[in-house]
Amino acid sequence: MAKQLDVRGEICPYPMMKTVQALKKMAKEENELVVITDHAPALDTIPTQAVRLGFTVEIKETGSPEWQITLKRK
Amino acid sequence: MQARNLAGGFAHSFGYTTGKTERRRYWQGLIAVLIAIGIYIFANSNETRMGVFWVIGLAFGAILQRSRLCFASAFRDVFLLGQGRNLKGIIIGLAVATVGFAALMARQVPNTALGTFPPDAHVLPLGLHTLFGALLFGFGMVIAGGCASGSVYRMGEGYIASWVTFFFLILGLLAASFTWNWWYEFSISDSPRIWLPHLFGHGGALIVTLAALALAYVGVLWWEHRNGAIAPDQPFKSEPETSFAAVLNNIRRRIFVHGWPILIGGALLGGLNVITFVSERPLGFTGELSRWGITVSTALGGGPGTLLGVNLIPGCVLDPGDGGVLHYMLFLVIGIIYGSFLAALFAGEFKIRVPKQNIRFVQAAAGGLIMGYGSGTATGCTIGAFFSSIPSLGLNGWVWAVCLLGGAWAGTQVIKRIP
Repeated sequence: MAKQLDVRGEICPYPMMKTVQALKKMAKEENELVVITDHAPALDTIPTQAVRLGFTVEIKETGSPEWQITLKRK
Repeated sequence: MQARNLAGGFAHSFGYTTGKTERRRYWQGLIAVLIAIGIYIFANSNETRMGVFWVIGLAFGAILQRSRLCFASAFRDVFLLGQGRNLKGIIIGLAVATVGFAALMARQVPNTALGTFPPDAHVLPLGLHTLFGALLFGFGMVIAGGCASGSVYRMGEGYIASWVTFFFLILGLLAASFTWNWWYEFSISDSPRIWLPHLFGHGGALIVTLAALALAYVGVLWWEHRNGAIAPDQPFKSEPETSFAAVLNNIRRRIFVHGWPILIGGALLGGLNVITFVSERPLGFTGELSRWGITVSTALGGGPGTLLGVNLIPGCVLDPGDGGVLHYMLFLVIGIIYGSFLAALFAGEFKIRVPKQNIRFVQAAAGGLIMGYGSGTATGCTIGAFFSSIPSLGLNGWVWAVCLLGGAWAGTQVIKRIP
């Protein structure tokens, strides 16, 4: 079961800040983080931050208006 | 339900991934559009200008919502994320508006040697109050998580914290009106209005401004490159176009569901600013918000009284109003909120969002108050004193941007420490 981070309801820019923080804190053996957000601008910022930290990004709609962002260690 | 049938029976993409059934509620959209048309008819019957500014407001809000264009993030993310998506969009918008504004102003003031100004251009007094107010504004917008226009468009998307910011923004403007006369005598009254065409002529000022914008754009690209890779915006995933209905559906989703590329959003906003200037005056709305606060406090018997010199300054300077309610700028502000609401509704992005941590409400209120005071002192927000000022070929817009960047940097240091 992948680790989940629920940032729904958060104001800008906390969805991306909390995601970056969680990615940096992830232990070596953990490979996946699933972020749930309702903040559309995060769809443009999280991918760049995740790629820089060595993760791949997959964005999935989970029933509007929320998104599920799966970040996997490369 | 016609549109649902048009979309065909197959499961189609929501915009980011395939295989999900879209649950558009078209009747909601229909009612919302009818309300917008109703307000237009009401506004237009009062005054043509009111109808025009209602439509401009709707377009303004829709563009911000569709392209997720946010001035606060533009300046903040440079520091916070090393990413310049929004800033690039804004620079493109400034370039588009600059060309349009320059053409219009060259007609208004054919001879720059006379030393006169185009009456409505946002060439504002440049002095200590500009530095102070813009720094404060940049700081406040990062604390609140959105600048004035950003908060207003998020109100339409259902962000409760943005409603709090909006209310305190009006209070901040009201507070600024009580100290206005002090600022006016201390700095504003003897601050110069510097209009680049007076220095370089129309053509020269246009070239200097466009060159500076190009340089800023290259600077953002360099800064992004220095900070590492940039993931492109989410690509649009189209459905296989096996039928004509599917072709139409792809077009519909591209416009109404998938987020717009930022450069297109920025360019459209710049174009809208030109249209707004041609029909009346450049975009900007903190003057209108100040009118609300001053009108209410005056009606309650506690107004700021006479504001020195506000009639001599164009743009978003504090506006004491005439005690009435309806004003064409009122329709602009409500139009932005409603335009964003409509766009969010069609995209399926409308949702009441309530922050879980109470500190966020404190941030929303404090940020709004600080922004309000800053924009009251510096005669405008990121729209009026920046997005409309650089195209007005005023030096004040550039100084505003630099101070805003400084304030945004300070704000970023603070929010990094608030968990």
